[in-house]
Amino acid sequence: MAMMNAELKPRSSLIFSSSPSQSHATPLPHFGPRLGEVNVQRQEGAARIAIKTPGMMTATSRGVVPHLSRDHVRLTRAICWVHVPFETFLEHNPPLPITQPGPRPLHQFLGFSPADHVLSVSARDPFDGRDMPANNKDYVATYCIRGVRKLTPEVWAQYDAACNPDIITALSDTPFTSAPHSNKRTHKSLERSTAWLANLLHSVAARRREVGSDGEPLTGSLSNVLVHMAGGAVVQARKAFAEGLMEDLEEFKAVNPSPYRRLDDGVAGYVFDLVPLRAALSARSKAADEDLGDDADTLKPRGAINTLTPTSSADTSAMDPAALSEVLRASLQPLPTHKPRLVNSARSPHEMLRLVRDVGIDLFDAHWAQRAADIGVALDFAFPVALGDTQPVDARVAGSPRTKVRPGEKMDLGHNLYSGDYAHDHSRLAANFLDGRSHAQQTAEGSPDARPVCPCGACSPRSPGTHILHSALDRTSWEGQAGADTLEPPFMRSYVHHLLHTHEMSAHSLLVMHNLSVLDAFFVGIRSVLEHAGTEEFNRQVDLFLETYDEEMVLFDEAKVDWVQVEMARGKGRLAREKIKQAESSLGTSVDV
Amino acid sequence: MEFEVLAKCPITRARVSRMKLPHGITMLPTFMPVATQAAIKGLTAHQVEALGITLILNNTYHLNLRPGTKILRDVGGAHRFQGWRHNLLTDSGGFQLVSLNKFTQITEEGALFASPFTGEPTMLTPEESISIQHAIGSDIMMQLDDVVHTLTVGPRVGEAMWRTIRWLDRCIDFHENSGRKNSQSLFAIVQGGIDPELRDQCLDEMVKRKDRVAGYAIGGLSGGEEKDTFWRIIKQCADKLPEDRPRYSMGIGFAEDLLVCVALGVDMADCVFPTRTARFGVALTFNGPLNIRLKKHATDLRPIDETCTCPTCTSGTSRAMLHHIVTLETAGAHALTQHNIVFQARVMGGARDAIMNGTFPTYLKTFFANYFGDTGYPEWCVNALRSVGVDLLEDRPHTKIIAGDATKWEYSDAA
Repeated sequence: MAMMNAELKPRSSLIFSSSPSQSHATPLPHFGPRLGEVNVQRQEGAARIAIKTPGMMTATSRGVVPHLSRDHVRLTRAICWVHVPFETFLEHNPPLPITQPGPRPLHQFLGFSPADHVLSVSARDPFDGRDMPANNKDYVATYCIRGVRKLTPEVWAQYDAACNPDIITALSDTPFTSAPHSNKRTHKSLERSTAWLANLLHSVAARRREVGSDGEPLTGSLSNVLVHMAGGAVVQARKAFAEGLMEDLEEFKAVNPSPYRRLDDGVAGYVFDLVPLRAALSARSKAADEDLGDDADTLKPRGAINTLTPTSSADTSAMDPAALSEVLRASLQPLPTHKPRLVNSARSPHEMLRLVRDVGIDLFDAHWAQRAADIGVALDFAFPVALGDTQPVDARVAGSPRTKVRPGEKMDLGHNLYSGDYAHDHSRLAANFLDGRSHAQQTAEGSPDARPVCPCGACSPRSPGTHILHSALDRTSWEGQAGADTLEPPFMRSYVHHLLHTHEMSAHSLLVMHNLSVLDAFFVGIRSVLEHAGTEEFNRQVDLFLETYDEEMVLFDEAKVDWVQVEMARGKGRLAREKIKQAESSLGTSVDV
Repeated sequence: MEFEVLAKCPITRARVSRMKLPHGITMLPTFMPVATQAAIKGLTAHQVEALGITLILNNTYHLNLRPGTKILRDVGGAHRFQGWRHNLLTDSGGFQLVSLNKFTQITEEGALFASPFTGEPTMLTPEESISIQHAIGSDIMMQLDDVVHTLTVGPRVGEAMWRTIRWLDRCIDFHENSGRKNSQSLFAIVQGGIDPELRDQCLDEMVKRKDRVAGYAIGGLSGGEEKDTFWRIIKQCADKLPEDRPRYSMGIGFAEDLLVCVALGVDMADCVFPTRTARFGVALTFNGPLNIRLKKHATDLRPIDETCTCPTCTSGTSRAMLHHIVTLETAGAHALTQHNIVFQARVMGGARDAIMNGTFPTYLKTFFANYFGDTGYPEWCVNALRSVGVDLLEDRPHTKIIAGDATKWEYSDAA
């Protein structure tokens, strides 16, 4: 650890409160839709970043938002909370981000601005569900391009101290060995996850005391540690894990003086990784089927890597929303309500809505929407469902065709821009949103459209406000130019279709910016209904959404087929590095650079 | 097109000019990044503009196959299609017919090739090429030329040169009758291989047509010929081409090639090199290329170049971070592509300033000292620049001289 930069750094704290618009007298509901606000406060006194909930987090691969250059990240306002799986950095020892000097090494190394971006880290990529060697009592097995790396809780705490992310998830013993897991294994998982959390809290508290003002009471309001809720698909185990967080730590004090009365006092929020959880639920229901003498098919591999939706019907039980809600609620039942609940790898806006409604989840990662951009899908949906969307409409609405309606009257969530249908479609990406320029024109003409604007770099591009000058003469080129920093026409579906078929990476840059913005607007819609119309109306709107949009996501299956075909047609075969990348991570995998 | 020479280097043949086209003013000499399929790899048009680029290149052959002229006409041209507000030059497709199609047959009528989609025989005539470029709406169009491989010898080279002249006449006639003469400018392409006599004949014929063409390209080079031959042909052409027309050297992209060409009197150049090499993990700098994939960069927290104005360097992206993502994340390619495009623009922008200030010979010397000082100067560059009055070795007689291409590259020292 010679090169590790060990100076003390200003910490961040995660503070969660019910939305200011809600009466403070009303506590956050235990299970049910919650309006709130996550505040990330920095010890160095920098402006706090507020994220309204229900809201979203952006997923990364190798520390970058796939397909986006740094200027595109800054341009995309939907990107605020960015989650970084740390394991890819373990291919170097010491990991590179911890060698970066400065108060915010991870921000600095990855190019995120502390003023605009909240960075959270977890050891493992929450979407990576591949089989892994077993963890043991001292370490978690993590995966990087050079193979499996063992990560101990002590080292994890050191990395946290050195690279200083805003938010850190404690190591968790989630088994990635073949399911089902014995009771004994589940029991160990709880024990280890609890011990590893305690270990991290201890280290964080020690550092916080050194940096912070003396005698500051250590409470949950000054924490930035998230805990992944252990227990797999076993309701009792999940409950036991949560109860453990609430137990008095008095008895341990003599041996290992704890800064907290209970572990939960040091926890800032609760995380649920749905990939391993779905695998566990699937194994549980398979076991149940066998009890009934049902000769079920072999289990789908848990490795959900590079798939969007397990479409096999054998998996439908794992998709049972009630079963998922039940296990999440089992974890949350013993815990206080005033901490945010985070879900990774929700697989559809339908699932997100149900988890908001039935469990009271506050934050979701955008993995699903980002992955859609990998396979050429431009998202086009809105919550609440826009009026008129429920009837089969005339294909052209204000020059921008709506998504396909499938047999069964369900609408697609977006457009598979690989499809030849879009070769001649010169409209903006989404019919549910206006492009910035049309909106400005309509407003100027006094006939504003009710639809919201998609602010993304594809729908509302702006001409650059500045140009790099390469010689004293270069001003001549720009002086005569009308309109610096003005709205430009949106990129067209036909253009993105062209880019996809010609293997141009720009297609994915445009789609990532767009899809993140559409998902962000979805959460704005959820909050707006909750705030202005209340829970009952929200529930009604959820039902309408579930009825309107296709959750089977036939669209995504079609897009994947087209994507593969274009890859094959390319002829030269895939490069070896691309294969490495395919195996290594889940996002940003579709394009050969 | 308005073309005005603003300054000339008192020593070399280099000059600064102002070229006004329908989509704005481009200052020359300049390097044009290549957006073959209507996108600079991984970037959007707005990003390219922000880099200070005013002229990019699209490919006629590719855009004719996809998206096709119908779509381009429907949306009002390639500018609108890709969201590009500035100047656009299109290659005619002659080069791609030969480089991408093994079975292209050249007849007097045009080039007969098998459609890559259907396999059907397809004819690309000079008229058709111009018609496609009309659909694209490029500010500068290139004539269809009969391209032979640079190293071809024998009667085929002369045949191709003379046919290129006849095809130029057909392109001019078609273009002048189209009514688009004021919105799009046509450039001729000087051919003739590496045979100085053929080049001379071609130059004579094409200069005769000066009043009907807006500029001249030097084609048929950068195809594996000796560098010594390369610069002599460039010099021969640049010397003979009219002062009041822009000169465009096709397929040139290495920094030393660009500066030698500028010194010989070239105004424009294009190449996929800077953007392609970016995708393979190479960052261009004034001290030579950095192969970011090499282990030596893995823990280096410095940016590629502290003095660079590109978004990658100014946002503090370290070599270590780039090493972590290049060739694995498309974002790594984007970062290096932005950097390399800016590098090329800085090389040419620096040349413009130096020519304006009358210090171009010094600029050349400084560039070569920084770029090749540690490894040795390419002999051909020394000779080429001597031919226009600049002696790179004047103040440094002990400089190592390297024969052959002497292109600088960063190899792994591990292997």
